[in-house]
Amino acid sequence: MESFRQAFELLFPPDRELLQIIGVTLRMSFFSTLISCLIGLPLGALIGSKSFRGKSFIKKLIHTLMGLPPVVAGLIVYSLFTHYGLLGKLNMLFTVRVMVVAQVMLITPVVIGLTSSFIESASKPVIETARGLGFSGLKTARLCIGEGRSSLFSVVLNAFGRSIAEVGAVSIVGGNIQWKTRVMTTAIMLETNKGKFSFALALGIILLIIAFIVNALASFIVKEVKDD
Amino acid sequence: MIEINNLKKRYGERTVLDIPSLSINDGETLALAGANGSGKTTLLKILGGTVKASEGSFSIPGSILYMPQNSYAFRGDLIRNILISGADRSKAFELLEKLELSHLADKKAKSLSGGELQRLSLCRVLSGKCDLLLLDEPTSACDANGAELVIKAIKDYQKSCGCTVIMSTHSPLLALNASDRLIILNSGKIEADGSPEETLANPGTQWAKSFIAGWKI
Repeated sequence: MESFRQAFELLFPPDRELLQIIGVTLRMSFFSTLISCLIGLPLGALIGSKSFRGKSFIKKLIHTLMGLPPVVAGLIVYSLFTHYGLLGKLNMLFTVRVMVVAQVMLITPVVIGLTSSFIESASKPVIETARGLGFSGLKTARLCIGEGRSSLFSVVLNAFGRSIAEVGAVSIVGGNIQWKTRVMTTAIMLETNKGKFSFALALGIILLIIAFIVNALASFIVKEVKDD
Repeated sequence: MIEINNLKKRYGERTVLDIPSLSINDGETLALAGANGSGKTTLLKILGGTVKASEGSFSIPGSILYMPQNSYAFRGDLIRNILISGADRSKAFELLEKLELSHLADKKAKSLSGGELQRLSLCRVLSGKCDLLLLDEPTSACDANGAELVIKAIKDYQKSCGCTVIMSTHSPLLALNASDRLIILNSGKIEADGSPEETLANPGTQWAKSFIAGWKI
């Protein structure tokens, strides 16, 4: 109950630092989801709809990357962007931008894997019908996306959920810097390490509320799409 | 004319289709009959270009339209489901009328019964023009009235465009009333080939004879 009281106190009136943390969290999750989907949805659709040499190997690779531990992704990105790393000159370490890069590395395989599975199974009758009618590849692809848009929306939602809940990679590359790269999950981790369990739990409750609002909005949109 | 030479399809060690030679004349309506797994759908899919043959060759004249065994309803109403193939509204209504679906024109296609959906799927295919029409079990989900509507629609379409029609079926009604040639397949091989009347009277092999006996005409 103490945690719920603290969560309420943080929200009403809104704590300035909390608002900043929520802002960074949403910004990071939005952009990492957007970039992952821009890369992952077309690639997933391509892998799911085409037969080609090495497809089985690529699918195995994607399924392996879907389980990539966040700390490993964090370490890879850290080593790339550190001062002596390949991309060190960009001077991006401990910024929100590099946190987005780490998350894109984690989420893109998930988007590719889920999209290709969906296209392979659910889109089979769509593809068969479209080919039977002599439709072009482009028209068939557009139909697949149109027919499966609520399922593809779930893929996007899944990516967002993974992004907003991630802690390992963003804490390594972002550094959990106050007023700069601190997000909800790294703030919870910090408060837990400080022994402030009920405050950490209060932050957790707020994170859950944010996730619930995003999911409710998405469900509403999906329902609108289905009813269309 | 469609010419098939030494056409084979294998899945691993199993040969599901083995046709040494087959000619189908332009404008012919051919029914493919046979038990499940006899190779009817495989042959249609190979001709339609959705499955690759393991061996052999075939020639196809011009454009193809193919209606798969499992009918699919695109989202939206019945009209949209036909317009999607490029037909105009009057053609779409004409086909819906012909297959007794016009009273459902503005209903969602996903709410249709199996038989209605199959007739809609046929409307969608028949709204286009082709030289070869491939139909995979076009009456499998239809009741007696629905099957008669389908047969009439196929006949009218064939008459108007003069295209070649190849359809697989388990229905004696379709095989005997809508086709002018009947081929019976067994384990991917042709057991009988001739006009429906000839095949019924003289099925050729013992297997074809017992298969036709099972039709209970």
